[in-house]
Parts: sequence; C-alpha cells; structure tokens
Amino acid sequence: MREGPVNTPALLRAVPVTASPSADMEIVTRCRRGDTQSWRTLYDRFAPVVYRFLSAFGVPMEDREDACQEVFVAVYRSLGRFRGEARLSTWIYRIAARHASRTARRRRVRGLLSTLLVREPPPPPAPDPSERSERLQVLDELISKLSPKKKLVLVLFEIEGVPIEEVAKIAGCPENTAWSRLHYARAELTAMARKRVR
Amino acid sequence: MNRRSWPGTSDSDPADEFLRRALDDAALRGPDDVTLRRGWAAVAEPVKTPRTRTWAWFAGGVATTAALVLIGGLWVWPRAVATFALVSPGRPAPAQVEVALGTRRLTLEGGVEAQLGSSSVMRIEDGAPRIEKGEVRFSVPHRPPRHPFIVRADDYSVVVVGTKFGVAVDGRAVGVDVNEGVVEVRRTSDQRRLARLSPGEAWRSGEVSVETSAAPPPASPAPPLPISAVSSPAAAPARLAAPIHGHARAARAAARTLALTTPGEGAGGGRASGTAATTIANDGASAAARAALSGGDTMKALQIYRALALKTGPVAENAAYEVGKVLNEKMDQPEGAVAAWRRYRLDYPDGILRAEADVSIIETLVRAGSADEALGEANDFLRRRPDSERRAEIARLAGDLYRARGDCRRAIAAYQIVLGASRPRDIVEVANFHRAACLVRLGDAAGADAVRAYLRAYPSGRFRSEAAALVVDGAHAADGRARAQ
Repeated sequence: MREGPVNTPALLRAVPVTASPSADMEIVTRCRRGDTQSWRTLYDRFAPVVYRFLSAFGVPMEDREDACQEVFVAVYRSLGRFRGEARLSTWIYRIAARHASRTARRRRVRGLLSTLLVREPPPPPAPDPSERSERLQVLDELISKLSPKKKLVLVLFEIEGVPIEEVAKIAGCPENTAWSRLHYARAELTAMARKRVR
Repeated sequence: MNRRSWPGTSDSDPADEFLRRALDDAALRGPDDVTLRRGWAAVAEPVKTPRTRTWAWFAGGVATTAALVLIGGLWVWPRAVATFALVSPGRPAPAQVEVALGTRRLTLEGGVEAQLGSSSVMRIEDGAPRIEKGEVRFSVPHRPPRHPFIVRADDYSVVVVGTKFGVAVDGRAVGVDVNEGVVEVRRTSDQRRLARLSPGEAWRSGEVSVETSAAPPPASPAPPLPISAVSSPAAAPARLAAPIHGHARAARAAARTLALTTPGEGAGGGRASGTAATTIANDGASAAARAALSGGDTMKALQIYRALALKTGPVAENAAYEVGKVLNEKMDQPEGAVAAWRRYRLDYPDGILRAEADVSIIETLVRAGSADEALGEANDFLRRRPDSERRAEIARLAGDLYRARGDCRRAIAAYQIVLGASRPRDIVEVANFHRAACLVRLGDAAGADAVRAYLRAYPSGRFRSEAAALVVDGAHAADGRARAQ
C-alpha cells in the first residue's frame, strides 16, 4: 500500500499506470519507429485508464467508445511531439482531457441543434453492466454540475489517483491553484451530495 | 477497508459515506473486454512514423517523389514488356505463364496473388487459372458469396471463398494444401465434392480421405520477394510468356513467402491492410452502424456491418463479428448469429475476436437449447485454448451442461478447471457449489467437506440455502449408514 499525505486519495482502487520516464520514452520511441507491438502495449496499458477518465469526466456512454478511440488516434498522431519531459500518463491524460472538453462542446451544439430543429432525441442506449450502480449515476450527475476546471482536478485526483503535481501539469496551472480547485470542488460536491442523500 | 482521507472517515454522515463509495465505484469502472478489443481494431493500423518537425515534411516530400518515380518505373517496365509480347506481329500470345527456374509472383483479377514455384506452368482459361505443372500458391482475399475463386488442375477444381492455399501438379497427380480458411476440391466433370480442407490439411488426388499434414505455419517470418518479381495488377491476366530465371534453390522458400506475407498483415493476427486513413473512414461506417443500432434501425446497422465485413483489416474483422451480435441480440436469430460467427472463425482463424466468437457461439447454442453442440464447442475451446481468459467461463458452462445431463463426473472435471483458472469470483462460487453438490450426489466422502467449505467461503452466497440443505441431507444419510452398520 502507498503511504502519502493527508490528501492522498483512495488506496483501494486503480492507481494510474506508472512507469519510469526512460521506459515511457522507450515505448514511445518504438511506436515512432512503427513497432506495432509497442503500440499495442501502449494501448493495452492506457485504454482502460482513458476510458475510465472519460467516464468520470462525464462523456456519456454512447460517445465514450468513439471518444476513447479518438484519443488514441490523437495520441498516435502526436507521438512525435512527446519529449519525455512529463510522464507518458500525464501527457495522455492531457490529450484525453482536451478531447473530453471537445466532446462536451460538440454534445452541447448537437443538443442545441436538436432543440432548434425539434428533432426526436435518440433513445437511450441499453445500460452498460458497469454502470448498474445507482451511486455511480448520481455521482456522474453531481460531478457534471462542477465547472470544467474543478471537475478536471477532482476527477484526476479523487478518481484517477494522480498526484497533485501531475494534476497541476495536466490542468496547466500552478500546484497551489490545483489544490485550491480541489478544495472548492470537494466542498461543492459534498454540499450537493448532502442535499441529494438525506 | 477504505483509507480515503476525503470525504470524512465517519460513517455517521450518509453523504460522506455515499461519496466514498461512489468515488471508489468510479475508480473501478472500466470498459469490458469487447469494447477494448473493438477499440484496438479501430486504432491498430500499421504504425507509421508520426509527423515531427517542418524539415521532416521537406524530407518526406523528396522521399515520396523518389519513391513514386521508382514505383512508376517498376510498374511501367513489366507492363511494356507484356504489351510487346501481346502486339508483336506473328507471335501468338499464349495465355500462359511459365517459370523455368526461380519463382514468379502475379496478381490476378480480384486481388488474388499467385506465387508460381520453380518449373511451374499456369494457364488462364475463361478467367480462371489452370495449373498444368509444378506448384502454385494462392492468397485469395475474401470473396462475396456465390463468387468463389476456382483453380483447376487436371480433372479437379479447387473452390475457394477467401484463403491461402497451394496447388501442386506432378504428372497426373494433384495436391492441395491449406494455410488459412477453407477450400473445397471438386471433380470438374461432375462437380462432385471430393474434400473440404481446413488449415493444416492437405489432399492428394487418388486418396479417399482428407489427410492432415504439416502445412507451413502461417506466422513465421520470411523475407518478401524483390519488387521486380511482382507484376502489376494491370499486367496480370496471364498473357505473359516470358520465362523467369532465378535461383532454383530459393524457389521453395519463396513459394511459401506469399502465404506468409500478405500485405498489411499486422498485429492481432487479422487481415489488416490499407492505410490509417482507410481505417478511420471505415470506423466512420462502424460509428454509423452503432448509431443506427442505438436509433433502432437494426437492418441498416446489419447492412453496414455486412458491407464492412467484405473489406479487409481490423474494422472488417470487427464488423464480421458484429454481424453475429446484431443477429443474435437485436433480431433474435440465434442460428444466423452462430453461422455468422462460424464464418468469422473461418475468415479469421487467429483473429483478435476469435475467443469472443467461440464464447458467443457456445452461449448462443446453450440458450437455443442445442446442448450437445454447445458441449462440443465448449470442449473444443477448452482443448485449444489453455491460456484463454474466458476459460473459467466456458468450463463453468460445460460443467452446467454435463450436470443437466446427469453426468456428474464430467461436471466435476469441468468445475475443477474453473477452480484452476484465473477467474471472476462469481464464476468460482458457482463452480464451487455445483462441484460440491455433484460430489454429494455421487456419494463421494469429500462431498460434505466441499459443501461446508463452500458455506465457509461464501457465508452469504447465493446457494447458501441449498448448501445448508445438502449438509442436513448428508448428515441424515451418514446417520442412516451408521445405524445400518
């Protein structure tokens, strides 16, 4: 078990896939050279992480699979720009976060267009077995009410278990700002949960 | 145990308790196996060196131009030779390719690749190849239904839908062996089917039954043929008569090369080909199929998947699997679904969804009440896939099927496999209980212990009442035996 400061998130859950920076650089270099096996290794390591992050970030189930694939296409296209200065996981989280925001924007536009054109919304897809928990549905709903910046920090720290210095890098803000966002996100989430769970 | 420092550790606040549990649930959430594999199918295309810096564009442009000039030259050169042979006055154009020494690689209509071995003669008759002499290996891309590819040799026809195989003619003797897919050998005169060959099987004329011989394994690497030996598709239809000279010793090894190095064959064992752009376009079609499914337009989704399945590459492979899924889950056609998955297995014997297809077939057969067929498939799966992650699931199904037949001994053996595999907890629980119940039913002394062990391991398990009843029954039986003694 990992020991850590007071703000260490849950320990009984998946922690981000970590590897030494040299191992990260090695796998990226091999992918750049066209080694399909390395690309497969990278996919196997990070696909569940990306999928989980997108789920927690509020990408709806019907868009999640496509969004996950788009993230990997983007990762592949950007491999040449990975310089090994950040961890590979940090870099991939950053791409995933950008995509999740873009997907949310697209969804908003789509919703707006549907309203304007008075189109029938598509029927909801069959529930995913992993989504059966009512708790998860409520949590997703509460998290979706946070601002995007607070949501990102909360999801990365509390669900993904990313250390705060990495969270700050992914969010593109100083560490203290990340702490502050986390503090407010936690407070808002607790307040919403108190109203909801009586 | 929960060591989350936030929300507060007190259980008295239901909101804190709720958040703790929900955040833990969220941290454990993940895609299922099929989603992951489908994702891989969409992004698996050959990794190309990604764009890096501006100068790389310039270098890439120069390299591309040079490559185009080279490829153009190589493409035009053999075509010019062939044209000369065709139009040369007073020189009949024999519809025949003859290789004296070395090998010749041709691309025929429909993308069929033919690798002519040393001293072989192949003639094109009515658009179909006829092997006169020697050995020719073929790689046939998937063909639409009712349009099989036919190769003739002596009085035999080899009928193919999409596969890799070889035909050899030595005097009056004809031999066929298969690397991938399935081929049928028929007598040309009456179209009677003489043999149906699966990968690894071979047939020789004059033999009654199908012989299993060592066909070359499909995955061992071999150096590709030099580009100059490969004719362009335009030059292919066989009006070429130029003998090709080369190393006779290399001929056999190179003859196998065709079967081993299909262009674009990459990770995952599927028939990957094409570019990343094609994959992304195909994936657009996959997304359209998924949208049609979630919109309730099952027929449209099925059509898209069927059309995609005719192509090649991971997306086609995925679509071939999805056809069965749609038929089974959305159209309530279990027989059609099983046929579609069996077709998938034929086309992609080592495909990345192979285990999924096997499992889907078994589960569908069980639901359709075809217990015997399901057991056959399940046993086959357990025999062939000792390391599969789905092994426990299938062994449990096999155990249940044997138990339903009253064959407790085989059921116990199957449940034993479950307990020996790495497996999900709920499957282990089922196997533990049913194994114990079977032992009790057989009157095995270990039965009572096994039931107690189940109750200890799963005090609030789903079979606890049945297990408790078994313990009571066992105790009564033991009393009865003691009194009788």
